Amino acid sequence: MKQFIQKFKPKTKSQTTTLFAWALITPAALVMFWIVVWPLYETFRLSFTNSNLGTLMSGADYIGWENYEKLLGGRKFPEIVTRTFYWMFLSVGLKMILGLIGAALLASNIRARGVIRALVMPPWIVPIAIGCFGWLWMYNGHFGILSNFAEMAGITDGPFSFLAYRQSAFYSAVVTDVWIGTPMVTLFFLAAMQGVPKDLYEAAYVDGASRWYRFRRITLPQIMPTIVSMALLSAIWTFNSFEIIWILTEGGPRGATTTLIIDTFKTAIFSYKFGAGATRAVLVVLILGVFSVIYLSVLGRISKKYSYSRVQK
Amino acid sequence: MMDKYSRLHKIGIYVSIALFLLFMLLPFVEMFVASLRPITHLFSRPPLEVGETLSFMDFMSRFWSDKMSFQAYRDMWVTVPQLPRYIFNSVFLATAVTGISLCFVIPAAYAYARFNFRGKSLSLTLFLAVNMFSGAVLLIPLYKLLRSYGLLNTYWAMIIPGVAFLIPTGIWLLKSFLEKIPYELEEAAFVDGASRLYTLRKVILPLAVPGIVVVGVAIFIGAYAQQFLFALTFNQNRDYMPLPAGIFEFIGYQSVLWNEMMAASLVGILPVLLIFLFMQKHLIAGLTSGAVKE
Amino acid sequence: MKNIKKGLFLAFIGASFMAPVQAEEVHMIMCGGEIRAADQVVISAFEAKNPGVTVNAEALPWGTCQDKSMTLAAAGDPPGLSYMGSRTLKQLARNGLIVPITISEDQQAMYQPGILNTVTDSGEFWGFPHAFSTKALFINCGLVEEAGLACVAPKTWTGMYNMAKAINDNTSAAGIGITGKDFDNTMHQFLNYLYSNGGSVNDAATGEITFNSPETIETLEFYGKLATVAQEGPMAYERSQLTQLYNDGQIGMYINGPWGAGQHNANIAEIVVPIPAGPSGESGTLLITDSIAVFKGSANEALAMELAAALSSGDAQYDLDMSWGLTPIMQYEKVMDDVYYSTDYWQTFVASIGSGGPEPMFEDFKALQAGINGAIQGMLMGEGSAADLVAEAAEILAEGN
Repeated sequence: MKQFIQKFKPKTKSQTTTLFAWALITPAALVMFWIVVWPLYETFRLSFTNSNLGTLMSGADYIGWENYEKLLGGRKFPEIVTRTFYWMFLSVGLKMILGLIGAALLASNIRARGVIRALVMPPWIVPIAIGCFGWLWMYNGHFGILSNFAEMAGITDGPFSFLAYRQSAFYSAVVTDVWIGTPMVTLFFLAAMQGVPKDLYEAAYVDGASRWYRFRRITLPQIMPTIVSMALLSAIWTFNSFEIIWILTEGGPRGATTTLIIDTFKTAIFSYKFGAGATRAVLVVLILGVFSVIYLSVLGRISKKYSYSRVQK
Repeated sequence: MMDKYSRLHKIGIYVSIALFLLFMLLPFVEMFVASLRPITHLFSRPPLEVGETLSFMDFMSRFWSDKMSFQAYRDMWVTVPQLPRYIFNSVFLATAVTGISLCFVIPAAYAYARFNFRGKSLSLTLFLAVNMFSGAVLLIPLYKLLRSYGLLNTYWAMIIPGVAFLIPTGIWLLKSFLEKIPYELEEAAFVDGASRLYTLRKVILPLAVPGIVVVGVAIFIGAYAQQFLFALTFNQNRDYMPLPAGIFEFIGYQSVLWNEMMAASLVGILPVLLIFLFMQKHLIAGLTSGAVKE
Repeated sequence: MKNIKKGLFLAFIGASFMAPVQAEEVHMIMCGGEIRAADQVVISAFEAKNPGVTVNAEALPWGTCQDKSMTLAAAGDPPGLSYMGSRTLKQLARNGLIVPITISEDQQAMYQPGILNTVTDSGEFWGFPHAFSTKALFINCGLVEEAGLACVAPKTWTGMYNMAKAINDNTSAAGIGITGKDFDNTMHQFLNYLYSNGGSVNDAATGEITFNSPETIETLEFYGKLATVAQEGPMAYERSQLTQLYNDGQIGMYINGPWGAGQHNANIAEIVVPIPAGPSGESGTLLITDSIAVFKGSANEALAMELAAALSSGDAQYDLDMSWGLTPIMQYEKVMDDVYYSTDYWQTFVASIGSGGPEPMFEDFKALQAGINGAIQGMLMGEGSAADLVAEAAEILAEGN
């Protein structure tokens, strides 16, 4: 027995380190395994069955690749995927731009800076569902503030229900999604901007550089790592953004706002077709995985140019 | 001199900020105004002749009329009697998730920040990969899992998934902070003969407090914002429902009590807004000092 | 050491046998904010009759009550009995989650004609009919007269359209309110028109889809025509929102159930008329019921069955029909004198029962909704001819039957 244990005792310093590190990580890893990895496997397994209302607990029949064939061969699937990517790129793009503008504004030397920064935060802090109800009310055609304002200002000549038409429903959902995501992005960009060494700016100022030049040539490159990582995180979250679309349109007028995650939910929970829903879930994970790999490899190079990683041995 | 702006520039900045704030806060203003109006007033348009359009006065009448009152704020407690409970549940759940998450996050983040070890990159990537799907994707297996452990319809049903999905972000965030703490301090402790665990507790932890606070707040906000989905699917017990699920009770058989719903929403988020107001200085200071790079 | 262990083991076993026998419980789920007093009376009587049995009565908000029952059933923890829309019964039955019920011949005769069809599948009854509604057309006389017409019931679709057009052109209000949101009551609105045009969704006996027919195409085209004189953005509306518009004088007319009078402003002079007939049929209406379903495998199935029967008959049932403003589910006038539905207003809703059609019983009822609403939305958005849209919908329906 003792000899057995002896075999596993760390012999070198790096082995002690490894053991200790893993000891620290294991609790978190266990939680992940239990809550995420097993359900992931189960979802994968379910996608090959025809699990539904009656067979959820008792076990469903395996039907091989049938779910996948039906989904990938259907005419709606490419449309949904395209729409999801469009949704993601548009929303994330807007969030990045607004985040940068916001951060630049908040970083500038103005009065009541603290108060204003705090005032920018509510959309992030408030439960998403509640913010969405607020927007739902605002988008109301006959009684909502946005439609009324448009009527009064002469932009439209009658009530306009934002969520009733394909295009307007989609863009309205984008606006709400941007609204929810911008504060956090702004905050992180702001923090990154504040970390840029002041002397860089001063040197440029002394050399006669304009504000725009300083922003473009100093600020942006310096915070690029943050932009890159925020963009990826935001992209993943936006891709999976469920509550916002669901509360506003439930998938929209005739599927206009149905993204992949909405379709997954509708199939699995709404229609009780757990097997088919699981298929969609697996595809979400796959697609995002591929996207992330591409993204990271392409932009990883850019990030390396600016990173300051310091890892101790 | 560099920080001094021309008049025009200053005006431009303030206008931009005003617009930015307008976008961020308009829904809340509208929610507040809606909560003050009686339900019939909410669903009425000023009478118009054929071919006429809304005038400016008509538009402004939605913001102020003699029919406005705080009645909805009184009625909502009657319509949804368990409202205070829901508000409490929301805060309680978010706090629990934060506390429990931190117990897992802190040691793990320390390990990633300080050590190079086998499987480091891989495991880190795997953790981050969890961010790649939302809970919505895993709802059914999670349901079965929680059910088999008998955890459905308890507080745990909402806490456990929340913790699991927030740990990766927490580790990633805290790791950045901990990397900023100079290694020399630890080395000094080792030289004095301290064990690793002791170092972690007595040397690192105190220095990491600002970072931990920031990550804690971020996790809290994340938990608070995400409760809805898990509450909806895994919990049927009304006593444990958080606020967003409770708000649904204002949707009746035939009509939605918008004004009370708005009032309840605003009152419900008040505790968290207040907490945030107190913490925001620390939050930004923390984020700034341990600037999120990499 | 060994002895202590053995002792503990035995004590454990003994304790689990002697664990207090819990009072038998029947879990009941109702919709709406609270359990009505009339139901409470039934529950108390039930508990008195069955000592040792407690009823765990839950009243859940409308949005979640049905889902909760289905989720619990799917997870293997079914409630004893639950209030469900009758459209769910076929799927629950086919998946073996609910048990068939028996209704005595006398009781069967009491129900209004057509009611029992809404709870029948494969020759058995699957739920106690508990709530019932028919629909009629509410017309705002004030707006009609303002538009220069006499406030008289239109008997045909042409008359209806002309009245709506007059209101739309001559007043600031829209002629009619129609729905387009992907909700169940959008499908219901459409079915009202369909059944007034001699159309049908499926053959009740064979289950064959009869949706793809000239009558249906005619109906869909008419629905699209109505949209030209309806409120703006029908795709964002479902029926309860139409009530709001109606109360604000923004629409001249719309289809609603008998509870409508209670929801409308007192100062709106209105008439309530049967749904006008289409060119290919006679005035009809949609018969929708909700039922109490008894779930299989709950703790006390037989007791749940007993309670369900008690709640859906006699005084308790009458009280529900009256207090919720519903069309009477049984022919109460056979056994009592002074019924709440003897006025002209009510007769409009009661008289149409005979010519009404049921909400179709589909196993995949979500597909039914998606199919029909898809066609409606396509028409409203001008994304296809009525013929194509109906054909497409019929395909979706065929898959979900």
